[in-house]
Amino acid sequence: MSAPTRLRIVGGVVHDPANGVDGAVRDICIEDGRIVAEVPPGTPTVNAHGMVVMPGGVDIHSHVASSACNHGRRLLPEEHMADPAPAPALLPGAGPSRSGTGGTLPSTFTTGYRYAGLGYTTVFDAAVAPITARQTHAEFDDTPIVDGGFFVLLGNDEYLLRQVDAGERDRARDYAAWVIGATGGYAIKVVNPGGIQAWKSGQRDLTGIDQTLGSSRVTPRAILETLTDAANALGLPHPIHIHCNNLGVPGNVETTLETMEALDGRRAHFTHMQFHSYGKTAEGGWSSAADQIIEYVNGNPLVSVDVGQVMFGPATTISADGPVEYLLHASSGRKWVNIDVELETGCGIVPHTYAERAAVSALQWAVGLELFLLSEDPWRVVLSTDHPNGGSFLSYPALIQLLMDRGYRDAQLKRVNARLLAGTALADGLSREYTLNEIAIVTRAGPARLLGLRHKGHLGVGADADVTVYARDPEIARMFATPRYVVKGGQLVVEEGQLRRAPGGRRLRLSPGYDAAALRDVRRHFEAYGTVAFDNFAVRGLRDAPLEIG
Amino acid sequence: MSTPARGSRSRSDQVAHVICLGCGCACDDILLTVRDELIVQAEHACPLGAAWFGDGRVPGAVRVHGRDCEVDEALEAAAALLGGARGRLFVFLGDELTCAAQRLALGIADRLGAVADGVVSETAPAGILAGQRRGRAAATLGEIRNRADLVIYWAIDPDQRYPRYRSRYAGYPSGLHLRRGPRCRTVISVSVGADAGPAEADLRLALRPEQEVGALVELRARLAGRTVGEAGGATAELTDLAGRLTRAKYVAIVHDGESSLERRSPDRTEALIALAQALNAPTRAALSTLRGGGNRSGAEAVMTWQTGFPFAVDFARGFPRYQPDRRGDELFGHRPFAAALVAGSPASLPEQVRRGLSGLPVVVVGPRASEAPFPVRVAIDTGTAGIHEAGLGYRMDDVPLPLQAVVPGPRSATETLERLWLRLEERGR
Repeated sequence: MSAPTRLRIVGGVVHDPANGVDGAVRDICIEDGRIVAEVPPGTPTVNAHGMVVMPGGVDIHSHVASSACNHGRRLLPEEHMADPAPAPALLPGAGPSRSGTGGTLPSTFTTGYRYAGLGYTTVFDAAVAPITARQTHAEFDDTPIVDGGFFVLLGNDEYLLRQVDAGERDRARDYAAWVIGATGGYAIKVVNPGGIQAWKSGQRDLTGIDQTLGSSRVTPRAILETLTDAANALGLPHPIHIHCNNLGVPGNVETTLETMEALDGRRAHFTHMQFHSYGKTAEGGWSSAADQIIEYVNGNPLVSVDVGQVMFGPATTISADGPVEYLLHASSGRKWVNIDVELETGCGIVPHTYAERAAVSALQWAVGLELFLLSEDPWRVVLSTDHPNGGSFLSYPALIQLLMDRGYRDAQLKRVNARLLAGTALADGLSREYTLNEIAIVTRAGPARLLGLRHKGHLGVGADADVTVYARDPEIARMFATPRYVVKGGQLVVEEGQLRRAPGGRRLRLSPGYDAAALRDVRRHFEAYGTVAFDNFAVRGLRDAPLEIG
Repeated sequence: MSTPARGSRSRSDQVAHVICLGCGCACDDILLTVRDELIVQAEHACPLGAAWFGDGRVPGAVRVHGRDCEVDEALEAAAALLGGARGRLFVFLGDELTCAAQRLALGIADRLGAVADGVVSETAPAGILAGQRRGRAAATLGEIRNRADLVIYWAIDPDQRYPRYRSRYAGYPSGLHLRRGPRCRTVISVSVGADAGPAEADLRLALRPEQEVGALVELRARLAGRTVGEAGGATAELTDLAGRLTRAKYVAIVHDGESSLERRSPDRTEALIALAQALNAPTRAALSTLRGGGNRSGAEAVMTWQTGFPFAVDFARGFPRYQPDRRGDELFGHRPFAAALVAGSPASLPEQVRRGLSGLPVVVVGPRASEAPFPVRVAIDTGTAGIHEAGLGYRMDDVPLPLQAVVPGPRSATETLERLWLRLEERGR
């Protein structure tokens, strides 16, 4: 049985904040994978009476398809053994029905099924080393249903750093544009600017944004300015995506605010803000500085963040931020992968558990919630757990309940270790409860807008027909964990709560313009220092055309 | 004359930047000269690489029970054999396939509820398992080339089985983080019994096999300023070595991930991993694990992303179960298989697997299937990844590379496996 090309979702309560629709009862019409104004009589219907209808979820920051993820999967057989995932019972011919395993870093097919099973239809991998990009494409090819894209790591790239050192900002911009196009990437990612290069070079004291890298003139500030301006000058739909220096360090709020101020007046996205919002007590201990960060974000409309909420339970920390992962390994004693990636970046992986009874875990949990609850603009403070760093994407429904249900939140607050929570806004009592419309913003409309995806995150005519229908449930986490229907690209992938179809997802990528003359110098760089030839670098044969810019 | 662009056929019929899968180095600078659809020269290739490319000719036979037939008939016979088998099945991912073909072969194993395994299961399990217990401190090869001011070859002289490793990845760097020229790095050669390090080195150290793990443990203790008395007589040398390691800026420890030593003493890899990790407290260090070619690292990567496990996966219960203790003789002795599919080169089958398959009806889809050194029920010859088939392939350090199709070959392994998959789907199994 083939999927109908037309569909009418009837009678649902629609939350489509991008189009100003907040809980209106209306039908959603679909034809050829797009939302349309009307469909002819006799079109197959989905009965959504009394149910909640939203655009498909959009994950702006996750780790799902990369060489780093695969190093993580290989490291965690015990998690995979404990979470077998039999092949779903799809309709005949409705896509690959493959078994797999879960845990914090599920196998690829399972990742696609589980994201779709939550009503998420678009996912971005937030950290891909350019030299490994063809693996990301291959993994996405085995990750059904979701549309996928990724951000390329450039903040510690040797060629880029040389241009920063030489003040060659045009050349840096051309290089960034070329790397995005050559790898099939979507945005520029900066992780611990300069700090990974420092770690690889044995310099362990790069902590301030004006400190120089070795004997060069390169500073984190110069890297950030160069790449922020490059992204904006290229007109990339998503601005620079920044993981600040000093992740996870008490007192890092200073660095974070300095970084934001350094880019004042420019469009920029700051990721997993929770991990960068810590104060320091007089004794050097941890405290929450969420209020300072959110105050800055609230007052600066060009700044956006995703939260990177910590959820209690198992997690895997996986990051290009090699030095942070080393410190986590050294302090926790847990197993540790480090891969220094030639000319580009690093990679570190350490399993981690956030425990309610652990004071630091509880503080991190509270900091994330404070960012959410003190945010004045949900369009710019969107949901992530930095999967699987703060917790699995499977914990999003529980996070949504924490935001929507104060009783649930306060009950958990009573259970956690309160040693570091004295004086925090959360401990003092935050009464805010997110509305369904605000949830629709932070989980789909907002991320889509920040990513510049004009056809995602809303249900207006012409949008991609990615739609999620939830049956109301007094237990909010259960409601969001088990959507009744999910439509992806016009196909009904979840029916009556069961995954029934698994079409392949599209690749969301860009091919920005650049001055081709700039490549001569890039080629020389490859020839002098690379182990992969310039001519073997670009990923060829990608099946979906790049999206248009501008 | 500038070198021809990748994949281009210039007037002299040269194809540039070809990737060699002769060993895990996956050198991507091979310049092939092709005349009349035959490879006549492989510039920059080492002897191993030149032999791997050969002249590009491979057989194109299709056989059932040793009788030549059409592909359709062979696929039907293969589907009937695998789809109709009563009892459990075995799927082996051999060498010389692109990742696209490996993905399909693993999909077939999933659908059939088979046991799936790959070459590394027999050649490199100790290192993989140790890595799952401890993690690892590693680097891609370019990082070693550009940064390592101290390289220790631990019981391996790469020149034998990885001939261009030293020149490409640990030779004279271009001055990015190390000064140019021969004095840019210190080379230390450690021999363990008969497994010798390179003859040319700044420092040479010889250990007896029974000293090896103790020496690694002792070295690690020295980094923390302790001694544990495990050295077994090599104390002075180890003191010197520990000092050199600590003073270096970036240490590369090179070992053979596929040596027979690995199988003799699984503890040694874990001790090497632990030493490389521990060195990251006083300085920076990476363990460089040498691996064979044929895109076996790709098979490991594909198995990992599709199942969560790098090898030794049993799909019998409808999901992947990891059975790393049940390999080789242990696997085949446990409960008999009804039939097997070998995807890839049959020549890459480890001896234990070959023994295990004897007496079973076996389907082989891959390069030189018809020349399998064991009895085969259905043999379908295909092209070789990187010679006749383009696609994704992996270097020993998990860097993904674009394999080229250089000369025309017999049918593609990817398409053949896809057709087999479809036939199995039609059978409803």
